[in-house]
Amino acid sequence: MTPTDPRLLVHAYVDGELDPAHALEVERQLADDPALAVERERVEALRHVIAEQLPREGAPPGLARRIEAAVGLRPAPAPARASSRPSWRALAASVAVAAFLGSGATWLALSPGPPDADMVVANHVRALMATQPVDVGSSDQHTVKPWFNGRIPEAPRVVELASAGFPLVGGRIDVTGRTPVATLVYRVRQHLISLSEVPAGRTIATSHGQIGGYNIVSWTDNGVAYWAVSDVAAADLDTFAKAFRAAEPER
Amino acid sequence: MASLKSEDDQARFASVVLPHLADAYALARWLTGDRADAEDVVQEACLRAFRGIGGFAGVNARAWVLTIVRHAAYTWLGKNRSASLVMVDDLEAVEQKQSSAGAAFEQTPEAELIAKADARRLEAAIAELPVPFRETLVLRDVQGLDYREISEVTKVPIGTVMSRLARARRRLIERIGADKPGGAP
Repeated sequence: MTPTDPRLLVHAYVDGELDPAHALEVERQLADDPALAVERERVEALRHVIAEQLPREGAPPGLARRIEAAVGLRPAPAPARASSRPSWRALAASVAVAAFLGSGATWLALSPGPPDADMVVANHVRALMATQPVDVGSSDQHTVKPWFNGRIPEAPRVVELASAGFPLVGGRIDVTGRTPVATLVYRVRQHLISLSEVPAGRTIATSHGQIGGYNIVSWTDNGVAYWAVSDVAAADLDTFAKAFRAAEPER
Repeated sequence: MASLKSEDDQARFASVVLPHLADAYALARWLTGDRADAEDVVQEACLRAFRGIGGFAGVNARAWVLTIVRHAAYTWLGKNRSASLVMVDDLEAVEQKQSSAGAAFEQTPEAELIAKADARRLEAAIAELPVPFRETLVLRDVQGLDYREISEVTKVPIGTVMSRLARARRRLIERIGADKPGGAP
């Protein structure tokens, strides 16, 4: 196989990894070659069935505890094995606090990104480590949107993107700086996307970034700055951002 | 050992490594094929990461952690499953010969059949993949890394990531087709 073998490139095409020139070339070949088009369907079916059938599981709780003890982040593990279950919540809280404090010390010092980006990433990490990544869990925009009433000054824009592959998981209140902001949570395959909506005084250009392994996309629409954060690939997050911006407003 | 490290290192470890523990465990499990072994590998990798936390450049924590986990898993495989670590160069030469011999993809299953594969069958088919193909497929299709990150973790050029991923998926597709009686003509 040469690097330009269409049977190879069709995978990169499905993964959103091709630049526009190569993507156009593959699209032309897909139109001309029915066998290649069928191969593309198979690859997409395989990707989809893997995402659906092989969900990502968390690390075993005892593992995190042992590792924390090994590096001195917590005292040596409690000897009673039977107590391992109840203490998991306490552990999750302590990890989250440690990560949150740690993040303040390191990300702000290391990252070239604007402070807003650091804060939305910190909020996202905090949410992943909490018992629940959302304060209100629902896939129904008519449940999620009203929940924000009275909690923050302006209700966020909530859209349903399940048909685009991004089902709504729910919403929560995050704090960036000292301001409470609305954050929606969407799912893509087994990953979560946090989308924070911050009233913005000015329009900023769409921008992409990465902090600590998390991809970030931000943009402004109608005076609101949107920040999407996730550990999915940058291309997937970009697809999400485009789907969100293109979606019909809630009715 | 821990007392030699400053609290800064502990805080850094907590913010850089701990958020990616689930990813670390998943990669270790797919590489070792066993939950208990995966825990050992992740624990060893985390100790290495803690010792080397000062060397983290601050760009992509997940890729950095997964690189260390992969290295620890390979060390473990070398000790315990050395037969599974075939030479990658040989493997790719064989693959290349086979594909240039014209294994056309016209004869393989329809997308509808692939979409019906269940978790057990998929897991078995992925577990049968040679390690370099398996890790590439798992990093992309299970863990959602992009090609650049996979290239960083597996230490091969992006073109190699692309061809390994294509071959891994092709093998899975053929395997799913062969599992079903009458799936292949």
